[in-house]
Amino acid sequence: MESTKFSPITKLSKEEVDRKWWEIGDFFRRNSLWMLMYCTGCCAIELPPAMTSAYDMERLGMGPMATPRQADVLLVTGYLSLKTLRRVIYTYEQMSEPKYIVGFGSCTINGGIYHDSHVVINQLDQYIPVDTYVAGCMPNTEAVMNGFIDLMSLIKNKKADGWKRYKENYEWYKKNQIDSLGEVQVHDEYHQ
Amino acid sequence: MTNTINNVEFVRNLVEDNYKVNKTEVIDQYQVSFEVEKEEVHRLLAQLRSEGWIQMSYLSAIDWIADNEFELVYIVFNWEKPVYIQVRTRLDRDNPVMESIMPIHPGCKYYEREAHEYFGIEFPGNPDFHKPLILEDWDDMPPLRKDFDPRAYSDAHFSSREYPETHENTLGQESKVAQRESRMARVFKVGKGGKK
Amino acid sequence: MREMKLFLGPQHPGMHGNASVHLFVDGDIIKRSYLLPGMLHRGFEKGMERHSWVNNISLIPRVCVVEPDINEMAFAMGVEKLAGIEVPERAHWIRMIVLELARISIHLMAYGGLGGPTGNYTLMYHAHADRNTILNIFEKISGHRVYHQYIVPGGVRKDLPIGIEEDIHEFLNDLESRYTEYRDLGIENPSIQARINDTIMLPAHVVWELGVTGVGMRSAVGKAYDIRKVMPYARYDQVEFDVPTGTYSDATCRIDIKLQELVQCIGIIRQCLEKMPKGEVRVPFGKGQSMRWTVPAGHVYSVVESSRGEFGYYMVSDGGTHPYRVGVRGASYPQGLLGIEKYLPGTRIDDAALWIDTMGVCSPEIDR
Repeated sequence: MESTKFSPITKLSKEEVDRKWWEIGDFFRRNSLWMLMYCTGCCAIELPPAMTSAYDMERLGMGPMATPRQADVLLVTGYLSLKTLRRVIYTYEQMSEPKYIVGFGSCTINGGIYHDSHVVINQLDQYIPVDTYVAGCMPNTEAVMNGFIDLMSLIKNKKADGWKRYKENYEWYKKNQIDSLGEVQVHDEYHQ
Repeated sequence: MTNTINNVEFVRNLVEDNYKVNKTEVIDQYQVSFEVEKEEVHRLLAQLRSEGWIQMSYLSAIDWIADNEFELVYIVFNWEKPVYIQVRTRLDRDNPVMESIMPIHPGCKYYEREAHEYFGIEFPGNPDFHKPLILEDWDDMPPLRKDFDPRAYSDAHFSSREYPETHENTLGQESKVAQRESRMARVFKVGKGGKK
Repeated sequence: MREMKLFLGPQHPGMHGNASVHLFVDGDIIKRSYLLPGMLHRGFEKGMERHSWVNNISLIPRVCVVEPDINEMAFAMGVEKLAGIEVPERAHWIRMIVLELARISIHLMAYGGLGGPTGNYTLMYHAHADRNTILNIFEKISGHRVYHQYIVPGGVRKDLPIGIEEDIHEFLNDLESRYTEYRDLGIENPSIQARINDTIMLPAHVVWELGVTGVGMRSAVGKAYDIRKVMPYARYDQVEFDVPTGTYSDATCRIDIKLQELVQCIGIIRQCLEKMPKGEVRVPFGKGQSMRWTVPAGHVYSVVESSRGEFGYYMVSDGGTHPYRVGVRGASYPQGLLGIEKYLPGTRIDDAALWIDTMGVCSPEIDR
């Protein structure tokens, strides 16, 4: 005998269930981003006032993290010399997904004041995918905090998908890296 | 500290009496430079070290491409009689070789490695002067020579961002010419007396 | 004897700047060690030859990011000596105020940098909050927090704004009243004293072998070898200050010397603000359009006392609009490269990061 009190339960498809879990995950992800402690260039000198009590970034949920395996966001602060770029790519590929990148300063956008130098690259998003930039030379600490809030709203609108683009266009990124850097494997006299 | 004019005189007497100096230049009361031949450099630096000039401040090279020569500069300092002494020599640009001064000043090891990397000067006597220090996997000529062009290297190897050159009216504003013409039309209409 | 290779790599929570130290260890003791420079290499010396004399003013401060004013001062002094011009009186005193404020800010940062390797983050938070106040004062004086481009050949760019003296006095009084609290947190703290007492010694004969200058030299040799006293520039001979020294050069002694120098800087700034005369602040060093100003031919080596040691620019001009060769002598070059190779083996792994902090190894000025 069928009951007449309850209406039939609609079953959601697998994709819709995944999307709803992903939205909940995004809420937690954007409110507790952990950044990797890696000062790659000049603009890193504006990070200590942002980390400490002057312009506290822990109220946004961001805190420092020591290893790349457990960090969410990689801050590329400033210009990238060739040696540093090899190690940044090495570190980026060790981070676990989903992961985001923020580029500081005008040197990541178009080379900045070192655009005619033989050891500094000119455009960062040919080599690794960048989600958002913070312009300036160097940017003010308030601009840095604005950059973090921009990243959080990008995650909310599901536009921060740099890691997906890296996986899909892997051959294009690899070809650019080998054209400019030679080879990405880190070889120096102490690594043998 | 001792009188500075006496210090410069002391140094000049010490060096010019015992060595063959090509050119002396007194830059100010705390700096003196001597240009000597390549073979006298070791003896001069060793004697200066025994007289008190024990701190090695800087070692580098200059590329005089018009004369086809390199010029090596050694700068030493003494804290008791404060005078900076610059010792300069000239090397042939096609075969630049200079004995290392590590037995006299051991701290010059990394300065000589850097001079080799940037100019191509060889320093036999320094155990690992040929290993790269600052550049990694560098395949072109030594970069601080005057015939190396960094802009050409950068354009050839690194792509730069292209900015599109479009002149579109994206905000929907009136052009300046149209604004000026409508303003002048209003002015002339009023000037001729308004409604007729 | 089995050795293991470890990288105190460029990405490390206790590392100051972007340089990596390669260690070969046996247990806890270091057997061999090398510094790997070159991660921050930008080709500065080639870039300076492509910019004109006036254009270089914007490129020069970026050589050392934590203390950019010494670069501008050394470049300005070198150009003034080659061109033979005399700077107005008021500009000398303003330059001294800016240089001493920069010295306070970097000593605070080095003292707070003890927090990374030892795990005492409270000290780092206090130091960086005070340093932020200094950066705000610099923004009022010159318009930019970090790269001021304020000390130019011929004087300073423009005069001090009205009301800046009250801000500087308020900041100095506040810092002086909290000095004992800073000492209690760091150097008198028993848990940190176990890390810094009697470790990483620097004997006196090593100083002359490597060419170390600055705090390392004064803590081992025991004499007041400071360029501001021996070869005074910019009216340092008209203010009174002491130069602290020591003979037992372990890490505690070097940090103690830095804190005493900080107190001396406060005294110098107060004397400068009293004795400063009125007048103009800038003279041009050429004729005609500033992009085509030329400097007469010659060689000069101009030296400034930075917080890490002797910082010099070797400048060669051939009479044209562009410099012919500019060579930068980074103050931490000897203790960073040869010091780590010869005198770090024998210590423990956790002393490597402390060497870099107390001896003041700043990697951008090694790589340029």
